[in-house]
Amino acid sequence: MSEHITILALYSDINPAADGIDKLHELGISDDEITVISGVPITEAMLGRPHQSTNVSRLALGGAVVGFLFGAFLNFGTPNLYTVYVGGQSVFPFPPGMIILFEMTMLFALLSTFLGVFLDSYFPNYSPLEYVPEISDGKIGVFFKCLQSDEKKFMEALSKLGAESVSTTEARQL
Amino acid sequence: MAVASKYLPGAKKAHEAQHEEHDLRQYLMFDPKPRGEMNQMVMESMMTTSWKFWVVFAILSVLTATCFFYAWGYMIAEGLGVSGVMRPSYWGIFLVNTVFWIGISHAGTFISAILRVFKAEFRRPFTRAAELMTTFGLIQAGASIFMHLGRVWLAYWLFPIPNARQLWPNFHSPLMWDLLAITTYVLGSTMYLFLPLIPDLAMARDRSTGWRKTFFKILALGFRGTEGEWTHLHTAMNIFAFAIIPVMFSVHTIVSWDFAMAMRPGWSSTVFGPYFVVGALHSGMGAVAIVLAIMRATMKHMDYFIRAEHFDALGKLMLIVSMAWAYFFFNDYIVQWYGGDKWTDTLLHWHESGPMSWMFFQMLIFNIAVPWLILWNKKWREIPWLLASVGLLINVGMWYERYIIIPVSLTINRMPFTWKLYYPQIEIFLTIGTFAMFLLFYLIASRLIPLIPVWEVQEGQMAHSVRKVGKAVVPSVSEIDLTME
Repeated sequence: MSEHITILALYSDINPAADGIDKLHELGISDDEITVISGVPITEAMLGRPHQSTNVSRLALGGAVVGFLFGAFLNFGTPNLYTVYVGGQSVFPFPPGMIILFEMTMLFALLSTFLGVFLDSYFPNYSPLEYVPEISDGKIGVFFKCLQSDEKKFMEALSKLGAESVSTTEARQL
Repeated sequence: MAVASKYLPGAKKAHEAQHEEHDLRQYLMFDPKPRGEMNQMVMESMMTTSWKFWVVFAILSVLTATCFFYAWGYMIAEGLGVSGVMRPSYWGIFLVNTVFWIGISHAGTFISAILRVFKAEFRRPFTRAAELMTTFGLIQAGASIFMHLGRVWLAYWLFPIPNARQLWPNFHSPLMWDLLAITTYVLGSTMYLFLPLIPDLAMARDRSTGWRKTFFKILALGFRGTEGEWTHLHTAMNIFAFAIIPVMFSVHTIVSWDFAMAMRPGWSSTVFGPYFVVGALHSGMGAVAIVLAIMRATMKHMDYFIRAEHFDALGKLMLIVSMAWAYFFFNDYIVQWYGGDKWTDTLLHWHESGPMSWMFFQMLIFNIAVPWLILWNKKWREIPWLLASVGLLINVGMWYERYIIIPVSLTINRMPFTWKLYYPQIEIFLTIGTFAMFLLFYLIASRLIPLIPVWEVQEGQMAHSVRKVGKAVVPSVSEIDLTME
């Protein structure tokens, strides 16, 4: 029985990388089995890849709601816990309350956005990963899993389409 | 016999087109280098230290140790009596410094967030240098507030927790608004500094050894540059860019309300909010010009990343902000002058003819006359040392402005028997200490993190190209920037 291996195709440019991914689709590799890594952001449309979903916006919104409620507690709740009446002044004045509501809403929205990147990207991750340092030099890496018996077929196909190098790879410490 | 040489019609056009293309090369976005080479340049600039660096490092360390930590420790031990704050100027240089440093911090957000939102491409190489100013400036602002507290160990009284009698802080006080706004801004701007730094930390991780490798590996968090990681990062940066702008405006507006909410002559002004915000941008832009000029002059390869075009663009911004500051200053001044209130009139005369009038007029010269006389000229704007000098004078002028608003204005109140000029004592050392610490932090950061966001520069260079329209060569920018999708 043949085992699965990971192949890395390295490209210098976007066009051959997009062609290579098309070829992988033709050869039966689905998008789920392909990982693209790059040193600069490349849109999915450029490589013909499916849209990447992210929860960061939802988490930011959730954080904003929590922050608003916390701000409401500070402004309208805490004076009620120990009410101090100051002659002629409202215990729950709204105009200063707006400032507290705004600041707390923004603070929690920003914190949850930041946290969202960590959660969605599984940061921090110090375990061995499939990577080559050339990526940060501007190369585009396409990883995919295939059967060991198909290794030669994929390597030849991708080399013909302009891959700078095609080789098997394994997870390693970054 | 002189022979007049002439281009053939076609040859002349081709020659001009070549010239146009050559001219475009002076712009960073049209002068790309391979990414590996740019990485190498940034790493070399970070790793290279000369003896001059260590001399400056030693001087700043000594100044920080003595003027900041020792002087503050002495003041804590002896009490606020060793400072010059006393009736009627209970707010002295500590709050001048607080407002000044918060102002400096505004440049980072302005350059990084506002220019990012509006896709001002010249921002790309120096966003991080400006963002660092935000974080380090806010640290000094926070320290100055704690100095002002005197009994700094009781600072937790401001925290949103109940005291022993279950009484919570009064959230209707402008001082509590300050605490919450500055806290939001410190945390927000630090996170905003860190997010776009992650890919560059990963780049540095791949190119370093020893303790630096461990340091970068920890901070890079395992970033590889997968499509998912870029998407999450860009979504977050997009949210931050839009959200941090109102936070930035709110911070300095709230700082201005510390004064404007008080019914004091010279302070009670409805225009103080935008006046302070514009003032903050004024000093912040000037500080960015100083930092860029120093970076370019002292760090290896920086002349590739920071060019005349960047000083030119920054100079234009400084000129516009200077005009806006003059507008708000006059707006504030004319309304108070026309109001005819006896004490306000006395205060305005005190500014113009009192013992501190030299400061008032220097403020106007440095903040208005100097930028207007110099920054209208493109050639002058492109000279780094000249722009940095203008930036330095603007910062002196803006520090004077805060000094005039706070201790000088506090001298005049509705009880003439209390009028007394403020003479700073230990505050002078503490001011030197905050400046030394700010510079020391910057110096250390310049050797620990890539000051140039290489991936952002490359992204910009990918989006820019030259194309021929007929016989002309025109610059072209593609919409491949993921950041603002």
